[in-house]
Amino acid sequence: MPITAEFEYVKPKDMDEALHVFSLYREKARALAGGTDLVVHLKEGLAKPEVVVDLKGLPELGGLALNGDVLRIGALVTFSDLIESPLVKAKFPLLLESALTVASTGVRNRATVAGNICSAVPSADSAPALAVYEAVVLVRGLKGERRVPVAAWFTGPKKTALAPDEIVTAVELKLPAKKHAGCYMKLSRYEGEDLAQGGIAVLAFADNTYRVAFCALGPKPARCPKTELVLNGNKLSEKLLEKAADAILQEVSPISDIRSSKEYRLHMTRVMLGRALQAAVARLFGKGPKYGTENIA
Amino acid sequence: MDLQKIIAKPKKVAKARKADDGLEVVGKSVQRVDGWEKIKGAAKYTDDLEFGPGLLYAALVESPHAHARIRTIDTSAAEKVRGVVKVVTGRNFTHKFGLYMNDRYIFAKDVVRFVGEQVAAVVATDAKTAQRAAALVKVQYEPLPAVLDAVKAFEKDSPLVHPDLKDYTHVPWFFPKPGTNIAHWRKIRKGDLAKGFKDADLVLEDTYYVPRYAHCAIEPHSAIGLFDASGRLTMWTSSQSPFTQRHVFAETLKAFGLGHKDVRVISTYIGGGFGGKAGVTMEIIAAGLAIAVPGRPVKLLWNRAQEFYNTYQRLGCTAKIKMGVSKAGKITALDFKLHWDAGAYVEYGANVVNAAGLSASGPYKVDNISVDSMCTYTNLPPCGAYRGFGYSEFLFGLESHITRMATELGIDPVEFRKRNAIKEGDTLPYGAHMNPNGIRDAIERVEKEIKWGVKEKSKDPKKAIGKAQVCFWKSPAMPPNASSSAFLKFNEDGSLNILVSGMEIGQGLLTVMAQIASEVLSVPVAKIRVETPDTDRNPYEWQTVGSHVTWGCGNAVKRAALEARERILDLVQRVHCLDKSTLYLVDEHVKCRTKPDFALRFSDFVINGIQADDHTFKGGPIMGSGVFMPEFASAIGDPETGQGGHPNVHYTTGSAGIVLEVDRETGKMKIKKVALAVDCGKAINPDLVKGQVVGGLLQGFATVLYEDMRYDEKGRLLNPNFSDYKIPTAMDMPEEVVPIIIEVPQPDGPYGARGVGEHTMIPCAPLIANAVADALGVRIKSMPVTKEKVALAVKAAGK
Repeated sequence: MPITAEFEYVKPKDMDEALHVFSLYREKARALAGGTDLVVHLKEGLAKPEVVVDLKGLPELGGLALNGDVLRIGALVTFSDLIESPLVKAKFPLLLESALTVASTGVRNRATVAGNICSAVPSADSAPALAVYEAVVLVRGLKGERRVPVAAWFTGPKKTALAPDEIVTAVELKLPAKKHAGCYMKLSRYEGEDLAQGGIAVLAFADNTYRVAFCALGPKPARCPKTELVLNGNKLSEKLLEKAADAILQEVSPISDIRSSKEYRLHMTRVMLGRALQAAVARLFGKGPKYGTENIA
Repeated sequence: MDLQKIIAKPKKVAKARKADDGLEVVGKSVQRVDGWEKIKGAAKYTDDLEFGPGLLYAALVESPHAHARIRTIDTSAAEKVRGVVKVVTGRNFTHKFGLYMNDRYIFAKDVVRFVGEQVAAVVATDAKTAQRAAALVKVQYEPLPAVLDAVKAFEKDSPLVHPDLKDYTHVPWFFPKPGTNIAHWRKIRKGDLAKGFKDADLVLEDTYYVPRYAHCAIEPHSAIGLFDASGRLTMWTSSQSPFTQRHVFAETLKAFGLGHKDVRVISTYIGGGFGGKAGVTMEIIAAGLAIAVPGRPVKLLWNRAQEFYNTYQRLGCTAKIKMGVSKAGKITALDFKLHWDAGAYVEYGANVVNAAGLSASGPYKVDNISVDSMCTYTNLPPCGAYRGFGYSEFLFGLESHITRMATELGIDPVEFRKRNAIKEGDTLPYGAHMNPNGIRDAIERVEKEIKWGVKEKSKDPKKAIGKAQVCFWKSPAMPPNASSSAFLKFNEDGSLNILVSGMEIGQGLLTVMAQIASEVLSVPVAKIRVETPDTDRNPYEWQTVGSHVTWGCGNAVKRAALEARERILDLVQRVHCLDKSTLYLVDEHVKCRTKPDFALRFSDFVINGIQADDHTFKGGPIMGSGVFMPEFASAIGDPETGQGGHPNVHYTTGSAGIVLEVDRETGKMKIKKVALAVDCGKAINPDLVKGQVVGGLLQGFATVLYEDMRYDEKGRLLNPNFSDYKIPTAMDMPEEVVPIIIEVPQPDGPYGARGVGEHTMIPCAPLIANAVADALGVRIKSMPVTKEKVALAVKAAGK
């Protein structure tokens, strides 16, 4: 199926050129990294940019490295890069676990983490993990750099805090100081690649504090402060899980669509929260399932 | 990996020894003749063919309405686009076509009847230009009330999809009702239904629902047409039915001076068919466009969305079952009402309705039976053949119902099936008699394999394990005169070329045909070439559908090989004065039982003849031809009772069992084990049969667990893509699949073989539904049986 739309294609040699193109074309420019969303949208006529800006020639957008306790994920880093990184596996296994649920190997070889959060679909698999790691999105325009906490990044379905003349340069995650373990539970229709019908990420800390976030259970991925409040300071118990499940149902607002009914999403929110918390706590004590296995509900 | 090295060093294979049945090649899992070509990526599919720089591309203008009158079509803006060669509309083609019912036009003429129907096409020098120009064609529509529900289509005041139904021509075994939306109504009436229900100790009535499904062959449909200066139309198509296509092209386009001799269809390998490439769908558009731009090849390639909404879909079905059963566990009466959604055109789909109606008893002896298999036109995409041809749909309800009734009566559901299973010679619902079959053996083998009766417990307390076992049967749905034929030619080195028009659609037909000829003529399979057809060169085959080609085409090849053998023996008798009855073929030689030192190598005479004592040569090229037609079949029975004909040539039967683990909270299902026993008469190539079992089960389970077509209130398909129409991946394989081959020979099959391709997917739906009920006590009566439905049913039941 050919792309029938006309557009200019530019591949800037340096950051300055790239930022100038975006400052000139603004909404009419679209960034190309993995292209796994953009190219499909071009084919289907859903995206009609005047100019497609290929960012793959900008070395400062690459790089996956830990500086002190901060992991920097360059904007060109793909999900496969994350999955294959021993660093991510050792220090941020929850990120690995969520990355493994994104689409298929072929898509993950191209799709970038930055692209995933720029597309900002409610079902973005990387979002709950980034939320519980309290990631910061680094954006740049001609006016300079901004640091946007991931909590303020998603502003609505397919909407972000990125200005039309800016691009994302990297995502930064701070390694929590306290001992912790995580779990990402994803609801999908079968074992193959699927868009999340619901996703819940949990970080459990040794001091009985918790972080919880979701995707596909509301218009945008988000943290769950009320649920965390119920959980914090307590050891997991059947009773606590019940209370936490009641709390999270106040924070999610799923819809019925072709992928799932609201009723099933609500039911699975309870189930997934409970199972994610139990798995995370088990992992905290060196037990529980290995990261990346059996996390699809 | 260096493939060449592997070829150069073939694994040493011990010379095949004769099996107990005396067969050397048939019954052996010989390597596929098309294997290397496909593994190396060298095999050509239609879209791979090169047509040079003159090739034109077509793009369609499609209806956005489910039902509307076409007011005007303005093609002027599109025609002005540089690179556009021609814009074609329904005005150019006024003949209706169809396989069994002539109810379609190449382009919608005055009325569009489904969202996505072709209204016009742009032919241009490249695909992008064609698509851009197609967007410039302006069509004015007057929307009409749409019929989107098959059951509502049956109501008296429903709008009519085809008001002129009375004028449509169709095969004599269809019974449309003009003035309604009823396109076909197959009735079966046998025995005394009222008495049957009176004799019953338990009567259960319920309704089961099956949605539409898509085939999702990985290779999309494609067709290239060329109408050349000699007045002939050549079509390269991705097709299961080259000859049927040739016939439909010739009939539909005869106004342009085409006869059958002028139409040539060339079919390459195809990347999956499953019934979706049977008959004619988009190929007729490419044929029409070729006529419109004579002298240049035109290519039409479907995109994935078109693959969903403008080929055939599997028919949706609402099945009402009322069954009576005695305490002794016998079915005393069955009243089965199948209401099918056939879509906007039923030219192929109504035959699915017919086939299901004839066989809705399932593989059971039911003396008192009434079946109404009826389809209505709707303003949804047209439906047609899909692996299983209606049997998956009625088996979902029937086999669910049987397990429910047996359980309610306290009879073991497997024992119940054994008591009712059909036997050779039993009277079928339409009055003919059942063929030899191994269904009891199949039931017992599966029962043992899944340890039926032994309750299993999951290690995970959140999960429960359920078991189920069901039976299945299926017959090829084909016209009574559907024929196969074959040519077979020897070459100088004693090798063979076999020409057939049965299609290689992944099932291994070419290999199996080579095996059959090899068995008769003692030529090794490696020295036999069988390829996909060109209707100019290859002899007739009706279609590669209905799991009938191993049987039909195999019979033709066997006859061709036997004819060549006769010619060889006649020649040797004539030249060497040896009695024919003492001669036999072995290891590519003619040998003689009474003269042990006589051995004549094929390569010494099969082309250039045998030199006689006077130095002259006798004989000449050895060839054989074979034809097979099921001369006992007849489609004509009483329209009100279905009695009197012999519409089905034979049934393949079998049984399947499952061990299913279900998560009580999430509803997620994991198939721990599935065993399927099928009586294929004779497995000519056991590995290929096992391949059918594995593939069929995977495809079948996908339709039960997650595949589902969804439409909005305007008749638009919501999921014409793999984002939201899920097909199985390698990760969705059951943990263990056990194929079991049963061989009760089919008397008229080649070496006893009968069909097996479709049968392996049709028991899947009731397997899952019954296993879920066994595990958790909830009964799902609508497909798909998704984890969502299971979890919510468990929640609702408070279990």
